[in-house]
Amino acid sequence: MSAPAPLPLYRCAHCGRLHHPFHDRCLDCKRRDFDIIHPQGNARLLTYTVIVSLPEGFDQPALILGLAEFENGARALGQIKAGSAKELRTGMAVASRWETIRFVNGQPIHGIKFEPLE
Amino acid sequence: MRDVAIIGAGMIPFGHREEDSLTDMLARASLHALDDAGLGESTVDGLYVANAGGGLFQRQFAIASSLADRLSLLPAAAETIENGPASGSSALKMGYLAIASGFHDTVLVSGGEKMRVGPIRRITDMVAAMTHPQAEYPYGVTMPGLGGMFARLYMEKYGVTDEHLLAVSLKNHEMGARNPFAHIRSVATRRDIFDGEMAEINNPILADPLRLYDLCPVSDGAAALVLSTVEIAKASGKPYVTIAGIGQATDTHTLAERDAPTELRAVTLAAQRAFEMARLTPADIHIAELHDAFTILEIAASECVGFFPRGRGGQAAAEGETALGGRIPINMSGGLKTRGHPMGATGVAQAVDIVWQLRHELPADRQVQNARAGLTLNFGGFANNVLCFIFKQGDA
Repeated sequence: MSAPAPLPLYRCAHCGRLHHPFHDRCLDCKRRDFDIIHPQGNARLLTYTVIVSLPEGFDQPALILGLAEFENGARALGQIKAGSAKELRTGMAVASRWETIRFVNGQPIHGIKFEPLE
Repeated sequence: MRDVAIIGAGMIPFGHREEDSLTDMLARASLHALDDAGLGESTVDGLYVANAGGGLFQRQFAIASSLADRLSLLPAAAETIENGPASGSSALKMGYLAIASGFHDTVLVSGGEKMRVGPIRRITDMVAAMTHPQAEYPYGVTMPGLGGMFARLYMEKYGVTDEHLLAVSLKNHEMGARNPFAHIRSVATRRDIFDGEMAEINNPILADPLRLYDLCPVSDGAAALVLSTVEIAKASGKPYVTIAGIGQATDTHTLAERDAPTELRAVTLAAQRAFEMARLTPADIHIAELHDAFTILEIAASECVGFFPRGRGGQAAAEGETALGGRIPINMSGGLKTRGHPMGATGVAQAVDIVWQLRHELPADRQVQNARAGLTLNFGGFANNVLCFIFKQGDA
């Protein structure tokens, strides 16, 4: 099994709350010191959608996106590698990859792609 | 703090206003409001202009300065207020504070947006720019996409069904068809968009599970209000409306970081704060304009502000409790769904509709009988900056 996507997570050094994306102060205790860690294990798909009216910059007919929660409690938005929404259900296990999610001015932008495991 | 009255209200029809510039629209709505207030050849002390995207859509900044000049309001103080799709409500709040604090005695609040400026994919991208710049936007998420993910969760958790979403859409289309200021003035039928043989074609999925008829259109439009002290309002001898309560709250920028992504915490808090300030409860409200950029949001918001218990809003809509003549009529303007959602205009337009309701000026097919208190709810972003207002009929 490949390693989870190296998404940076910001764990409050005082209360332990996980953040993604970065905040200058902890959302709970307001302190400012964070340890950078990464997701562990697979993730659980919380919700998803298929967008067919895409923004400029995406040359494809549809895009599947979802929110997933990692085993350490961190949550993130990512693109989903699936043929259609019929392959998905909330609560299913997904693996995370760190891949190209779009191109801007010809340059690849990397981010999370979830892949169904069931 | 002084009590604040709304003494003038005006709006222009929303839609695709190809012939008008942003300033044209703001000026016309403002003149309607000034005339309504009886200030046709007078000026105001201050001008608050709501606009979210002029810099992106028109390459136009400092819009309030431009409007002050265009309307010959000089030397009135003028500010442009930007708070995404809640810019209109934020401008109204600033106008309220200026009067309540004693800094100004009369102000004009004008909100407008010209969004139909190019291919839909470009407009979609511009609007998506309000999502988180690292954790959301690069992935291609859109506002309807966030709405779709929220809808799936909310429907699973609270038992909201496609039938409930349909009920909101049909109601708001029916009311929009009766509203001469609405962008979409066509009645939709259940057969057309839900269970007829052409329903899948007429009403395709755009952000699963949300369909075309669950989403507000992209609109141009403007609306305006004139605010003053209650003393000035009473001296005018004309009907007026007071701002009885204002609540505002923020939430995490990303949907993913909320403790529960189904909870619209900022909506709940904003409404609680507005009710506390007004010393009223949800049972005291006779008419509401809620931010239904997506049908699911009207249902969720109707629960968060306290009109219905959690999980009851969808069924209430299906049973007609939110229709004209129902227990709490919601979006008798047609809402964002059919009046349209030109971002800077929306919060002001919601308040204009409530003012007309509380002055009992609307035709019988839109007027809520005996309405004396109204509520507006306006989202900035995906419920991460929310304003709630409570309005009351002024004393004669």
